[in-house]
Amino acid sequence: MIEFVEECRREWRRLGVPDPIANEMAIDLTADIEEAEAEGGSAEDVLGTSLFDPRRFAAAWAGARGVTAPTVPVDPPTPLRPERQPWYRPAAVIALMAFGFLMTLTAAALVAGRHSSAVAARVSRAFEVPGSTRLFAPTPPTPPFRYFVPGPSLAAQSTGPVAFLAFALLLVGVVVLGLAVLYWSPWSRRHSDRRVG
Amino acid sequence: MANVDSRRSQLLRGVLDLCLLAVMGEGPAYGYEMTKRLRARGLSIVGEGSIYPLLGRLERDGLVETRREASNGGPPRKYYSLSPDGERSLEAGVEEWKAARDAIDGALDVVKVEVMP
Repeated sequence: MIEFVEECRREWRRLGVPDPIANEMAIDLTADIEEAEAEGGSAEDVLGTSLFDPRRFAAAWAGARGVTAPTVPVDPPTPLRPERQPWYRPAAVIALMAFGFLMTLTAAALVAGRHSSAVAARVSRAFEVPGSTRLFAPTPPTPPFRYFVPGPSLAAQSTGPVAFLAFALLLVGVVVLGLAVLYWSPWSRRHSDRRVG
Repeated sequence: MANVDSRRSQLLRGVLDLCLLAVMGEGPAYGYEMTKRLRARGLSIVGEGSIYPLLGRLERDGLVETRREASNGGPPRKYYSLSPDGERSLEAGVEEWKAARDAIDGALDVVKVEVMP
């Protein structure tokens, strides 16, 4: 029977049961078994079917008494409480994304329509492209070939500022969209979580 | 026959805490002493496992009080007795048991058991 009690002690040690409590349980168990044997009985009279599974018996007893060491959860980790963001931050990012998208779209439209004189003219009027007034202004009906001065065509004259404008808008749009995507990205969230934790 | 044993085991497991509280009502007792009192009333725990985890739970729930007392020639023993909460729990448990037993009797009494010679 000593072997049964020793097996229980090993299990209690493994479960982190404090030594004084483990000793107390071992003494009670030994005394009861010895009394049963002294009366002509056996350890089975005391332990029942638990006699055949000392580790399970020891764990059940310690667990019922609530004296096992608390287990530390390792996996999965406890979820971190997400940082409470001010309400205006997501709204600002969404507005920023919309702005960037609009800029990019405008730039794409300008690039697509750069050879269109109508578009070029509208852009020129809108942005006061130098020289456009002279080109569209009514001119005296003079023979065109006689007074023709080689120079940039209407489209060519408009293309320079339009292309520059499109490039600038595209750049602004891409940068703004990039910043917005970076804000919502998982990397950004992880970084934020680390700060919270 | 194994099925009958299993049913008896499950029934006893459901009320063993009540039985322990009842035998403690006779007076403070240590673990093995309670086993002997149960046996004297016709309840053997041999097939039901040990009473120690159950005693541990009753102690944790505040239904029993414990104290150490010297025994005859041996080491001090841990004596269990009913706490006021334990007494109330015992009374409520006995009422529950009687109600359940009457209902089950009502359901089973319609069955005529023929005893084979």
